[in-house]
Amino acid sequence: MRRWLGVVLASASCLGLQCAVSQKLAWQSDAKPNEHQLVQFLYPEQVTVPAGKPSVVELHFRVNDGLHINSHTPREKSFIPTQLMVGEPAGVNVASVDFPAGTDYSPAFSPNDKLSVYTGEFVLRAHITAQRCDHLVQAGLRYQACDANSC
Amino acid sequence: MKRNHLVLILVVAALALMVWTGVDNYRRRKAEQEKLRQMQAQAALMSAAPAASADAGAVPVEEMKSPLEGKPAPAFTLETLQGQKVSLASYKGKAVLVNFMATWCAPCKVETPWLIKLRDQYGPQGFEILGISTDDLDKDDKKMNAQDKADIAKFVANMHIDYPVLIDGDSISHPYGGIDALPTSFFVDRSGKVIASTIGLHDRDELEANIKKALASGGA
Repeated sequence: MRRWLGVVLASASCLGLQCAVSQKLAWQSDAKPNEHQLVQFLYPEQVTVPAGKPSVVELHFRVNDGLHINSHTPREKSFIPTQLMVGEPAGVNVASVDFPAGTDYSPAFSPNDKLSVYTGEFVLRAHITAQRCDHLVQAGLRYQACDANSC
Repeated sequence: MKRNHLVLILVVAALALMVWTGVDNYRRRKAEQEKLRQMQAQAALMSAAPAASADAGAVPVEEMKSPLEGKPAPAFTLETLQGQKVSLASYKGKAVLVNFMATWCAPCKVETPWLIKLRDQYGPQGFEILGISTDDLDKDDKKMNAQDKADIAKFVANMHIDYPVLIDGDSISHPYGGIDALPTSFFVDRSGKVIASTIGLHDRDELEANIKKALASGGA
């Protein structure tokens, strides 16, 4: 199961030296929610960061129960790593994204193997610098999800 | 004299290196075979007692029945890694297992050796497997496209797959109901009708039963 989770960073007003960036999932804004998403974006809905200063925005995700996704650094080259693709609009720079270390997981069909995966909730830390204004940023989470018998 | 010694030493060193490489390769192959054997044994155990799985809460994709069952298998023409076009229609009269897989799919690696053996066993009766790779292929960058194909070819070689493996499987996933999970298999009988399908890793006995069913169905 290869998936893209669309993340839309919607516009918001800014006050003074603050620049607000709000975040909303594509499926949250759709009239018809995508029931097939295997990873959910949890929060924040909106964040405010100081204009022109490097800031860290924590993005919280949750892998559906019973599933695991490869971490950003899977142990096997052929496995698809979890990646965040960010489209940077004018005035927003995403310098880097920190991914958590994966936890060891042994699939039931291969108990001697140790995969590096995310399960449950995990947090990505995006290093963002935004100029003073409203911004709309689109991003996508790419991941490979598997359960006990399939991927 | 000194030169002779040097040549002799180099020859001995080269021979030692060749022997060491051979032994190392042999050990690696044996270790991989043993690992695969353990994985398959574990898969069989899981099939016997699925409730014991740590992933018991997983999405039960295995339980979904394809709406294609009982209907003609959607026609397709795809290319092999060598660029040869292969159509499902050209296998009419044979029982065919259309097996969607990918190089990054760990359960597919468990299933593949079973498929190879089952094809050996039932091939003479008119059974064939078409492996359908759903690995991404870069269509804009020729160099990346070649690399993508090389990765698939490496997987095919490492797994000793001797049946046709067709690429760009995503292009036919829609008529097959959208391939949400791998491996996904469609068992097509001799008349071209889908008589069974499986999603996810199933045990060897179930695969074999479906192959027998496909062989027995749709004959003239």
